[in-house]
Amino acid sequence: MKNTLPIIAFLSILFFAASCSDDFLEQPPRSALTVGSFPATPDDAFLAINAAYNINRTWQIATGGYPILDFMADDLVKGSNPGDGIDVAVYQNFTHTPTEISAERWYKTVYEGIRRANLVITVVPDIEMDNVLRDRYVAEARFLRAYHYSSLVRGYGAVPKVTQIDPPLTLGRTEVQEILDEIVYPDLEFAISILPERSEYAPEDLGRATKGAARGILARTKLFYGEFQDVEALTQDIIESNEYDLVPDFSEIFPEANEFNQESIFEISARVGEFNDGGNQYGNTVGVRGSPNKGWGFGRPAYSWIIEMEDQEDPRLEPSILRLGEVIDGITIAGDASTPDETIIDGEIVEIEVYIQKTWMPGADGLTSWGHNRRIIRYADILLMHAEALNENGKTPEALTFLNSIRARARGDNSGVLPDITVTGKAAVRDAILEERKYELAFENRRFWDLVRTGKAAEVLGPFGFIAGKNELLPIPQSEIDVSQGRITQNPGY
Amino acid sequence: MKQHFYSYWTVYLLMFLGNLSFAQKNTFTGIVTDGETKEPLIGVTILVKGTITGTATEYDGSYEIQANSGDTLQFSYTGFQPLSFPLGVSLVNDVNLDTDSEILDEVVVIGYGTIRKSDLTGSVSSVKSEDLIKVPASNAVQALQGKVAGLQILSTSGNPGADPVVRLRGVTTLNNNNPIAVIDGVITDVGAISLLNPNDIASMEVLKDASASAIYGSRGAAGVIIVTTKKGVSGENRISVSIERSVESVANRIDVMTGREFATYLNVITPGTYNNLDVLPETDWQDLVFQENATITNANLSISGGSEKATYYFGLGYFGQEGVLPKSGLDRLTGKLNTGYNLSKNIKVGLDFSVQLSEKDNAPGVINTSLQAWPIDTPFQADGETFAEVNGGNPLAAIEFTNSTTKRLRSLGNLYASINFLKVFTFKSSVQFDYDEGKSRNFSPKFFVGPLQQNEMNDLSYNIGTGTSVIYENTLSYNQDLGKHGISALVGYSAQDARNEFLNGRTEGLLRESELFRYLNSGQEEFERVDNNFGRSTLISYLGRVNYNFDSRYLFTASLRRDGSSKFGPENKYGNFPSAALGWNVHNEGFFAKGGILNRLKVRGSWGIIGNEKIDGNAQYALIVPGTDAVFGEDEGQVPGATFQGGGNPLLKWEETRQINIGVDLGLLEDKLIIEADYYVKKTDDILVPLEPIGYTGIGSFRSIFYNAANVENKGFEWNVSYRNRVGEISYRVGFLGTTVQNKVTDIGQGLGADSLLVGGNLGNGQRVSQTTVGQPIGYFFGYEVEGVFQTPEELASNASFFGQEVGDLRYRDINNDGVITTGDRTIIGSSIPDFIYGFNIEIGYKSFTLSADFQGQMGNEIYNGKQAVRSTTLNYEDKYNNFWNGPGTSNTTPRPSNTGGNFLPSEYYIEDGSFFRLRTLTLNYSLPSNLTQKLKINNSNIYVRATNLFTATDYTGYSPEIGAGSAVDGVIDRGVYPVTRAFTVGLNANF
Repeated sequence: MKNTLPIIAFLSILFFAASCSDDFLEQPPRSALTVGSFPATPDDAFLAINAAYNINRTWQIATGGYPILDFMADDLVKGSNPGDGIDVAVYQNFTHTPTEISAERWYKTVYEGIRRANLVITVVPDIEMDNVLRDRYVAEARFLRAYHYSSLVRGYGAVPKVTQIDPPLTLGRTEVQEILDEIVYPDLEFAISILPERSEYAPEDLGRATKGAARGILARTKLFYGEFQDVEALTQDIIESNEYDLVPDFSEIFPEANEFNQESIFEISARVGEFNDGGNQYGNTVGVRGSPNKGWGFGRPAYSWIIEMEDQEDPRLEPSILRLGEVIDGITIAGDASTPDETIIDGEIVEIEVYIQKTWMPGADGLTSWGHNRRIIRYADILLMHAEALNENGKTPEALTFLNSIRARARGDNSGVLPDITVTGKAAVRDAILEERKYELAFENRRFWDLVRTGKAAEVLGPFGFIAGKNELLPIPQSEIDVSQGRITQNPGY
Repeated sequence: MKQHFYSYWTVYLLMFLGNLSFAQKNTFTGIVTDGETKEPLIGVTILVKGTITGTATEYDGSYEIQANSGDTLQFSYTGFQPLSFPLGVSLVNDVNLDTDSEILDEVVVIGYGTIRKSDLTGSVSSVKSEDLIKVPASNAVQALQGKVAGLQILSTSGNPGADPVVRLRGVTTLNNNNPIAVIDGVITDVGAISLLNPNDIASMEVLKDASASAIYGSRGAAGVIIVTTKKGVSGENRISVSIERSVESVANRIDVMTGREFATYLNVITPGTYNNLDVLPETDWQDLVFQENATITNANLSISGGSEKATYYFGLGYFGQEGVLPKSGLDRLTGKLNTGYNLSKNIKVGLDFSVQLSEKDNAPGVINTSLQAWPIDTPFQADGETFAEVNGGNPLAAIEFTNSTTKRLRSLGNLYASINFLKVFTFKSSVQFDYDEGKSRNFSPKFFVGPLQQNEMNDLSYNIGTGTSVIYENTLSYNQDLGKHGISALVGYSAQDARNEFLNGRTEGLLRESELFRYLNSGQEEFERVDNNFGRSTLISYLGRVNYNFDSRYLFTASLRRDGSSKFGPENKYGNFPSAALGWNVHNEGFFAKGGILNRLKVRGSWGIIGNEKIDGNAQYALIVPGTDAVFGEDEGQVPGATFQGGGNPLLKWEETRQINIGVDLGLLEDKLIIEADYYVKKTDDILVPLEPIGYTGIGSFRSIFYNAANVENKGFEWNVSYRNRVGEISYRVGFLGTTVQNKVTDIGQGLGADSLLVGGNLGNGQRVSQTTVGQPIGYFFGYEVEGVFQTPEELASNASFFGQEVGDLRYRDINNDGVITTGDRTIIGSSIPDFIYGFNIEIGYKSFTLSADFQGQMGNEIYNGKQAVRSTTLNYEDKYNNFWNGPGTSNTTPRPSNTGGNFLPSEYYIEDGSFFRLRTLTLNYSLPSNLTQKLKINNSNIYVRATNLFTATDYTGYSPEIGAGSAVDGVIDRGVYPVTRAFTVGLNANF
């Protein structure tokens, strides 16, 4: 038994050594922070605001990955080959239902952006740091939050109002006007008061929210809700800031070399590469399908739109589209084998295989498409909004000046085309501006909302299946209604 | 304990060791039989009294032992009365053993201890060494197939080294459904069993009901498999060797279109594409890709023995497998060392240690490519050596440019000391460790086959992952028989610390492409990227158990375990897992009529709660992670960002499974017919479910948070019936086991502000084909019902369709009768959970030959044929498409030819019956006659041949109906599995 005692002693020591405290059961995550401990430092604030911009590069933020709003409008059709993406074809003929995945992706991703912005807005003001920089971060976040909310209410109507990072799970929908009055407008007014002008940023900060961008988004939102006095003033401010000007040649607006040109009010910067390397898959989603293999080919310029452009010999047509056989940056567009070159119904051509040129990036490799900077708002849109507001505010002659400045730029050296608009009636000028937007801002995600806000959607889109009183809004995702057990209600007609 | 020590030899070692001689004694031989039935008894332990010389009987009951005349042989065998037999001058001595009144009193291993089988109250299936060896298998888990009712083992892949999928009593949770394994006391995952050489295993016990598994508390919900390896025995120095060699080939091919059929089909889609079908090439890609007769080599050596003071068991194994695909294969070395040392009469220390080193060449991913590549394309260009561009991808080029290797080191160990005091108490303290290290290296050279198959710059990734688990455990047990009262009790404490870490590096532009340069340093700095992550989780447990029996008639067991886990927040750290069980040995009652047909009857009942904590340790936290970069500036600089990644749930708590089990054990005709039957109900509450919370929380699209948000019920009836008998010189045994499974989700997410619907089965093309909702089995398939094919424009016009459908397309059923086909018309179209799982085995012995066959099957489950349903471009088709609709009155099942589109939506068209009946193994074993073995100076030896997966009866059209599901919520989707192989094996065992 002489061996027993040391063994027992040893085991006892081990036993009591391991009878450890509750600390043993606390294992916080490694190499990640948890909410409450971030952002805490000036560096954290920098990281948090950058992450809020990051959401704008995600695939889903662009209306759920596919340009579904443009499929619903008359400047784009679904694209790709006939069998591809039939789950998004439903938007084209307005048969989409509350379970459709794209509208759900968009809704949820916009709220993800709002959450990231709320993290900055609610926590960064308490960080001890340079006041100017801190205020700018908060103003940038409020710009982004307002940008997201303005998308939400335009797309879905009344939505839950979330201004904190962990909202209660009992929220219902908040009326559009309250969202505008309590979030979108004050956020953007704050941003306008704080944010620097574009020229006041360092070159490496291009792409951050500016005073001009905040005015532009506010003007766009006010325009949608018909507040023309405000639109006129805001666009006037942008014009008078002398920060922006039209690019002289329309075909020079979109090439990669001219990213952040003088016409750019707000754009989402991206690098060639996958998402984690700075890419944005939007350019890939709408990129040329087949050869060169630049993307999936969703969002095809509508044949009717092409015909109208051809009929008016609009010089903006060719810089806006890529035709089969066209050579761009040394690459021949051969297109997709599984996509008909021409789709003919009852002897009439209804669709031809063409692609969007506004998102084209040089290079044959598919990954290059990820480098496209989405132009969210550009100076031409500001001038057209200004023209529209002037017209609505009874200043039709002045409105024509701005409208015609857009046509003049489009015309370029082709003096025989796109004559100045000379009509004088308010309604006629209103129609002319709407038409001009269709040609100037084609495929830039504007057309559907232009038709909705001007009340022309039923007239123009009715033949495609648009139902007035229903299709002005997307359906609230069914899962949102199910999970809230009906507290969140559906939009009319769905 | 019933112990058998079959050991095996290779021919090579036999020749070497055959020259060794152990003693200058006489060799006594004989046959040991059951005195009553005259059946030979296998594995009877024989010891020369007063010495350390011992042996055990072979299959045919034969033995041989070195002894002197006048020595006494002691025969012992579980269930029989021990016998002392004095040796005379005769060298051949046959003996009979008489059955013990305490029949079937074998000992089974339960958690933290052992118990006599007759005293067992829980549902425990025990598989002993001889059963594992009789039908040799290369993986010990595979050897359990068909031996345990309620245990489903699917060989889901012929990929070298692939672990089988193990499910016990259905799908309990929506998360990880793998049972845990306890190897020599070390709690680990079921995959670790593959560390062991089946020859080194003494027994495997499957704990099925709550009474048996609740002692493992939070980890027992999906069942427990206890593996006990062989220990050395004092006085028996033995060496055994085994070697087997197999050849394997892909068991069946998938029928796809020939080149001519494919061109014909495409000509319908786009008329005039191929005008002369006679000049088109015909390429059978499967033929080009698969290798016939790939070999498997499996060799093992073990040496064991010991003295009164110390025992040892040393095992060494090699397993080498060529894959059926080029550049795939596995080399594995296993080592085993079990030692025990008696410090004094009451103190014992020991180490049980297993280690495995493996190197695996990972198969290139060409299984799907070889089905989808166009049969009218050729692998090489006209020069016969340059890879040609192939529509759908060139599989041969993919093989050429794939270089992927994984090296793995895994070891398990249990270092223990035990002290016996006051005769009835034992204190045991142990430190257990489980170390798992994997290093994988993937290299792709620069190549160009075509625009879609190219690599512009060579690249290399090197990933290291390590997992370490250390358990410190102390138990105090008490065992005493007081007259008719038998009592045993156990209390214990354990603490576990589990850590894992990953280090992944990647680069491009290596200086040279040869193997000498496949290191990260050879790459260009601008492409270097490194990721590193670390996780740690801890667990503290208190456990206790009491077993009581009165007069071996009335049995009672109760246990309680309290577990605390770092994976849960402060309010729910601890969970309590109790169990209780009763048993009644009716045959021990006075009123039980002896000598009737029924000789044994035991009734068991148990209740208990078991837990599950197999979730990510960080699930309780909303993490802030870096990597959410923005891009700014004229130079498009990437600026760092950090923010939320999903969300967390600080209120997470233990998932709990309440299980009720009622069982009966019957022995009839003097145990010739044995029936074990159980009925169980498993209700799992608070299942940890990843749910998408309400969207406005901003977690992100299709991101989830873990909630305790679902309840699932499994119930079923399971049985194992076996009958053994002897007719003349033929002995036979037949067994039939089966399980019925009923799986139902009883609640999901109600009242949590989270989705009441789980969507799974992502096909990778945006389609999700599986759902989980209340009232249905987990992960059922969700899609359109198919009514036929639109035959005419009139039929298309007068029935519901969706936008763009044409004549010849599948006609989906308008479930909601709104006149159009929308996503609202999707419905339940199948379930991958079988209604019935069964196994059937036969064993026939004649003289030295044993023939055994092991069948396995399941019924009532469906498989989604995802490999055919996913189309992004034109790919080759499975041959059923040859029967395509081609005008009114033609096919009403196969639609018109199409590349993509509405006929590829999730629908019944892709649902196939997954029922199957398979001859898993057929083995013929021959024991060498003793006159031959004597000449070779070995104890015994046997030779066998085995066929694996000889035939399968199934309607499923894929490589195999046995497809493992990643997650229960996905259902079973065939995304293109590595084919299961058919193998033929020759093996030889010998032991001293």
